[in-house]
Amino acid sequence: MKRFNLELSVGLFMIAGIVCLGYLSIRLGKMEVFGEKGYEIKAIFSNSGGLKAGSSVVIAGVDVGRVKKIILDDYQALAVLSLPLDLKIQEDAIASIKTKGLIGEKYIGITPGGSEKTIEPGGRIRDTQPAVDLEQLLSSYVFGKL
Amino acid sequence: MASRYCWQTIVLLLSVVIAVPTLAGEPMEKIKQTTGKIIAIVTDPALKAPERAKERRHLIRKAVDERFDWGEMSRRTLSTHWAKRTDAERKEFINLFGELLERTYMGKVDDYSGEKVRFENEIIDGDYGIVKAKILTRKETEIPVIYRLKKKSGDWYVYDISIEGVSFINNYRTQFNSIIVKSSYQDLVKRLKAKVE
Repeated sequence: MKRFNLELSVGLFMIAGIVCLGYLSIRLGKMEVFGEKGYEIKAIFSNSGGLKAGSSVVIAGVDVGRVKKIILDDYQALAVLSLPLDLKIQEDAIASIKTKGLIGEKYIGITPGGSEKTIEPGGRIRDTQPAVDLEQLLSSYVFGKL
Repeated sequence: MASRYCWQTIVLLLSVVIAVPTLAGEPMEKIKQTTGKIIAIVTDPALKAPERAKERRHLIRKAVDERFDWGEMSRRTLSTHWAKRTDAERKEFINLFGELLERTYMGKVDDYSGEKVRFENEIIDGDYGIVKAKILTRKETEIPVIYRLKKKSGDWYVYDISIEGVSFINNYRTQFNSIIVKSSYQDLVKRLKAKVE
């Protein structure tokens, strides 16, 4: 009986430990529960600068969504953004690829526009700014053209 | 029988001939015209005289006004704050915005020293167009420029310029928003008025 109790408690303790571990990994992994409840829009950039799936979408400094996936389409970077249903993006909003800090990870920043029309699910943000390639910028101003 | 086909051919040919001029009204053509006009004004030796400076600026401003949609640009830069403005405030802002840009960039146009603009390609997507160009400076650096245009009443108007990938509208949008949020729209107007006086 005592043996059984001991094994039972050890077993329960193990299960509790695994559940806590699972909970922690889900929270730290920032898995979005709204995944099914959000909507998707696209944005095309001439240079994604290393933006990855899972990168943040930020408006006014607030994390509002995620980059669902990023693929090459007609030699440009097509990013699919996942946004909450109640967040509307104006037709003339501008999406830019920004960097956390100066050399940190990339994210997409959206500045809202002034149009009354908003982008439908499956639509596209028309005006985008690519990632600034510092090396390219530097070289074109330092060395000029041969 | 033969005359019937003859008629159809004539109508077809006529429609092709008439259609061709409208194809030429594409965004790139329009931008080329405007930049051509401005460069002609700036390089005109007769207008270089200091007494004619005001006339020169007026001509440049007129050429720019033909191609740039100040109303559209004003709405885009004020973004979410545009909806809250009255018609009178909007009119005032559009004027101020035009004046601000004239003050900021007219001096740079005066500094023109033979830079060439090379138009590369254009992409048309319904009522929106993108024209890609490169400005070749004297030091032989190539500066990539992207014009974004919108078709209104059958003509193409610029609503944004990106230089080295940095959008003109986004730049002012961020600055204006920051001022409006920190103080007020009236404060922004006050600042703009101070700059253009």
